[in-house]
Amino acid sequence: MTTTATPSTGRWTPGRIAIWTAVALLGAIAWGILALARGESVNAVWMIVAALCSYAIAYRFYARFIATKVLGVDDSRATPAERLDNDQDFQPTDRRVLFGHHFAAIAGAGPLVGPVLAAQMGYLPGTMWIIFGVIFAGAVQDMVILFFSMRRDGKSLGQMARDEIGPLGGAAALVAVFAIMIILLAVLALVVVNALADSPWGTFSLAMTIPIALFMGFYLRVLRPGRVVETTVIGVGLLLAAIVLGGVVDHSSLAPAFTLSPKTLVVCLVVYGFAASVLPVWMLLAPRDYLSTFMKVGTISLLAVGILFTMPVLQNEAVTKFASSGKGPVFAGPLFPFVFIIIACGALSGFHALIASGTTPKLIEKESQVRMVGYGAMLTESFVAVMAMIAASILDQGLYFAMNSPPGVVGATVQSASQAVTNLGFTITPDQLQSAAQQVQEQTLIARTGGAPTLAVGMSTIFSGAFGGDALKAFWYHFAIMFEALFILTTVDAGTRVGRFMLQDTLGNIWKPIGRPSWRPGVYATSAVVVGAWGYFLWVGVTDPLGGINQLFPLFGIANQLLAAVALTVATTILIKSGRLRWAWVTAVPLACDVAVTLSASWYKIFSSDPLIGFFAQRDKYQQALDAGKVIPPAKSLDDVSQIVTNSTVDGVLSILFAGLIIVVIVDAARVWWETLSGRREPVLSEVPAEESHLWAPSGLFPTAEDRTRQAELRPEPVGAGRERSGGLGSGGPDRSGGDG
Amino acid sequence: MTARLRRAAAGTLWYVREVMGENAYDHYLAHQRRNHPEEPVLSRREFECRRMDQLQIRPGQRCC
Repeated sequence: MTTTATPSTGRWTPGRIAIWTAVALLGAIAWGILALARGESVNAVWMIVAALCSYAIAYRFYARFIATKVLGVDDSRATPAERLDNDQDFQPTDRRVLFGHHFAAIAGAGPLVGPVLAAQMGYLPGTMWIIFGVIFAGAVQDMVILFFSMRRDGKSLGQMARDEIGPLGGAAALVAVFAIMIILLAVLALVVVNALADSPWGTFSLAMTIPIALFMGFYLRVLRPGRVVETTVIGVGLLLAAIVLGGVVDHSSLAPAFTLSPKTLVVCLVVYGFAASVLPVWMLLAPRDYLSTFMKVGTISLLAVGILFTMPVLQNEAVTKFASSGKGPVFAGPLFPFVFIIIACGALSGFHALIASGTTPKLIEKESQVRMVGYGAMLTESFVAVMAMIAASILDQGLYFAMNSPPGVVGATVQSASQAVTNLGFTITPDQLQSAAQQVQEQTLIARTGGAPTLAVGMSTIFSGAFGGDALKAFWYHFAIMFEALFILTTVDAGTRVGRFMLQDTLGNIWKPIGRPSWRPGVYATSAVVVGAWGYFLWVGVTDPLGGINQLFPLFGIANQLLAAVALTVATTILIKSGRLRWAWVTAVPLACDVAVTLSASWYKIFSSDPLIGFFAQRDKYQQALDAGKVIPPAKSLDDVSQIVTNSTVDGVLSILFAGLIIVVIVDAARVWWETLSGRREPVLSEVPAEESHLWAPSGLFPTAEDRTRQAELRPEPVGAGRERSGGLGSGGPDRSGGDG
Repeated sequence: MTARLRRAAAGTLWYVREVMGENAYDHYLAHQRRNHPEEPVLSRREFECRRMDQLQIRPGQRCC
């Protein structure tokens, strides 16, 4: 590999050593308080402190070690953005701007939902996995894949798998990517359905986003082309108005029109998903994306401020009894491996490898910036997950379980729910349940699974504590629901479209016309297939008597971690092939852990004899009931029973498929590792040859003193005289623009 | 103090405009002037339409 040319950071002065020692000590104290507290109340701020101190140390030391020693980032080497600059998909982009783009692309509803579900095992296991998982696995994966893709002119994960491992590994990776997209879209859509079902306020507000997005699209296309910020500000204003108006609709004669059953919502979502996939992007997708990015960053910052301002106390235990018994109502299965499966986004998310090998590597200005963009953005997402864990853990635990247990467990009335919660070992009275629902102006909060409503109640508690008091609680609740639903729908829009392109691309190899993006029948057909696929799982999730989230969420987690295994395998293969065996543990150890998690979770899902966990045990149990003509709860009819049989068969087969794919990829990669290490085959790398860079830009978020001198040398004219980039100028823009990070 | 505040405000505005893609047209003009000074440039309207239509073929992936 080439020598490193990252700027030196200066010496270890006593001041610096003191600061880092203090950070380490503070972090250790915070972790100690979180881990050792039993029976006394713990303030949520300690979770924030533990997270931030751990991130700081990881970013400063581990990420830096990986960038300089393992990857060998080389700033004298031109990035694809510099070499192939065409002002379109390739263009050097300011590191802070790219960080913003990359963060907006990787973070969505995932880091908000997973931690809420995992809170059933207590706050500690989930939080530890979120923080240590991101440091040693998730952020490493994102940065390493970003780097390797950048060295290959922005090749996708699938292409890299084919080039570096072989056609078999490549094909398995491609199938994995498609399968995970379908499950991901279905589960996310299920979260939206569960949040909006029978809620006229939420449904009305979300429905209004469609005309708002259409208006924004028209405004941007026809009235004021390119004025994105102004359009988005108008859009956000309209959105807030729609939330307020939702409260009015809730009490008006229009309410029944927006009170939709889960099944109706599924039909609406499927029709919408199809329309969004075939309509021009400027009409719906692009404006919705602007709105959702704006809301995402705004709400997450607001949440951080709210937590620091209200300093709530955690109501959740550090570790609940469900951690060991594996019989929790939210999802079944023991702590290992299921916490690691349920929390994917925020700790380790394979899906990110698709983004880190998509647009971001084509825009990065300097190689050393992979640390800030890849590792840094993932740390930020992890922080979002920590905040979601806080929001779920400050709720009364009786309420938490009443909201997150499937209807089969808690029933439909406040009395049955109160009883069920008592049976689980927590307390909440029917009156308390009723008043909790009234406070946020929902008809009921019972069995509102999927994480979004729980998070919304948590957020409304924090927000109303910080801004506005109890009077605004219902507004904040619906604000939070809207915010989640909005970017889940953005993911559904974009995911359907991306899935359609993948399908068109693949089928285009067999029959040319269908591969053409402009051939309408092909577009309609492939869109319908993609929408139909996730629509099927969504329908199944909504109607499943056992609870869709309970059944499907583990499958989504397994698929996501499977993709992470593919990404880490590709990275390990490249490290080995490029002669860096001594550093291969950086990706090989997280890979081994991830494979252990994914395969043992698959093992449970396929072979467990407990019908709560194993899909086939579940199938047998209900098949026997069906044969005997018996209806066993939570099924209410023989139709329900036969539906459970079908669903658990499909889910079981999918589990086998996922486990099979992961084994294929790893075995195929192991063959390449062995051939390379034993010298049987000369390793061929697909890296693009080095070219000298003529661009210069700082590598970190804040320019160092050295950076500033360099910048001053390169920029003779005063700052602000012009922002265009020319020759060796650093990217434009004032360097003290805070905002990100 | 005011100078600092003004600088921070300008920085934030710059950042928001960059992230949202409002400055794309300026970057395009600069790129054309630098690399293809002889070619005529697109108007803002034409440019923004082209930018959207490219998004049509290369939609940005959005994660969970």
